[in-house]
Amino acid sequence: MKRYGEHRIPGRLFVVEGIDGSGKTTQLMLLNQWLKAEGYGVVLSEWNSSLLVKDTTRRGKKKKLLTPSTFSLIHATDFADRTEHNVIPLLKAGAVVLCDRYIYTAFARDVARGMDPKWTRELYAFAVRPTVAFYFRVPLDVAMKRLMSARNGFKFYEAGMDLGLSEDPDESFRVFQNRIIEEYEKMVPEFGMTVIDATLPIPEQQAQMREIALAKLERAKQLRVAP
Amino acid sequence: MKETYGNVLPGMNLSDLAGKLVVIEGTDGVGRSTQINLLKEWLEQQGHAVIETGLSRSGLVGKSIKRAKEGHTLGRITLTLFYATDFADRLDQEILPALRAGFVVLTDRYIYSLIARAMVRDLDPAWIRNVYSFALKPDAIFYLRIGVDNLIPRVVFSRGFDYWESGMDLSPSEDMYESFRNYQTKLLQQFDRLAEEYNFNVVDASTDIRTVFEQLRSGILRTLQGEPRPAAVQTTPGPVMIASAADGPAQSSGSSPFASPERPDEGLKV
Repeated sequence: MKRYGEHRIPGRLFVVEGIDGSGKTTQLMLLNQWLKAEGYGVVLSEWNSSLLVKDTTRRGKKKKLLTPSTFSLIHATDFADRTEHNVIPLLKAGAVVLCDRYIYTAFARDVARGMDPKWTRELYAFAVRPTVAFYFRVPLDVAMKRLMSARNGFKFYEAGMDLGLSEDPDESFRVFQNRIIEEYEKMVPEFGMTVIDATLPIPEQQAQMREIALAKLERAKQLRVAP
Repeated sequence: MKETYGNVLPGMNLSDLAGKLVVIEGTDGVGRSTQINLLKEWLEQQGHAVIETGLSRSGLVGKSIKRAKEGHTLGRITLTLFYATDFADRLDQEILPALRAGFVVLTDRYIYSLIARAMVRDLDPAWIRNVYSFALKPDAIFYLRIGVDNLIPRVVFSRGFDYWESGMDLSPSEDMYESFRNYQTKLLQQFDRLAEEYNFNVVDASTDIRTVFEQLRSGILRTLQGEPRPAAVQTTPGPVMIASAADGPAQSSGSSPFASPERPDEGLKV
């Protein structure tokens, strides 16, 4: 088993992290469009998307069967499936892999649910270290405003309602997401994450992302699939 | 007070676990479930409330694991974590509540089988031990030990070779017999190492069902007597309780668990 940082593979792995409403998915889509236009072989991998595992996760969430430990482990199982069957083979083949959320999401959420930080980090020791991990830093109020206008109400686990922080979903969401932000901020130096100011206009954020990504792609011209 | 192997889960209160956690470990086909059925019946006769649990029986992921294994598409880290999820679910939802209520929890395999399998699949030893560091330390671990030569006829003449029990995910080109033999040999080597590391009570499982059962029974009696039980068991004069059962000879009359003829292992699929 290769551990974090030990994989030597030709592809590039870019991941985006941040709380809900930080705009990270939008930015990743734009990066994807640009990379494809530049001719790179790009593959997207989303959090919680393994065909094998996601039905279980969905059922566990719907029926509120998940405890902090099973919440943590079922997401790790999903991540392992994608790593073993998707991310590693693609990177070996020289692809540019884009992940919407990565292990840092798990670290932030699991620790906010009371799991031991060291245990959680070791749990994901099999993960490939990203070429760049972008963290979209945004004040909670800004993120909440964006989310409120886009949909009505927060989901049970997203608001950390399983923790009994508050009866009120909005208040629970606020308390829980604040804990998550705290965890992200600790991880910025710990994992050398690249911070993007997610309050800037969308094109400005995207220009920063492209510049950083380009520098990492310079020696990877052979990864292009089309001229 | 009970302990874990290092990491305590949020909300996991270890101070009020009055029951006993008894683990029956051993490789595929060694006779674990036969023994567990006998032990359950015997313990209930002794006045103990018993629940049984075993791998991939969790409400959350048990069925998903079975389904996923049918397709033979699981990576080794994925399979390991799927089992860890199943284990965590059963620990939270079954084992801890039952121990809190004073039950004897009989578990058909525990983290050791899962660690042994992960080790045979070359996963990182430190990683796998960390994954299971939230597991509760059992009150007793009985390891039903058997050599691969004794194991093979039991498997062949009862239910045949199984894809996963033969480690076919590791060496798909080999024939099933060779693969089973190699895989189980490696597993048994891992179990022997774990037996030392985790201080198993080793029981020779190559003998007959009754001899194995008697060894397990006396081991469990020692475990149950190890710490004072809540008042009811110790002071009630009437029915035969654990203390007198321990002193007397092995019970052979009445509701003997051997009323029915010996049967091959069953229900061993994991």
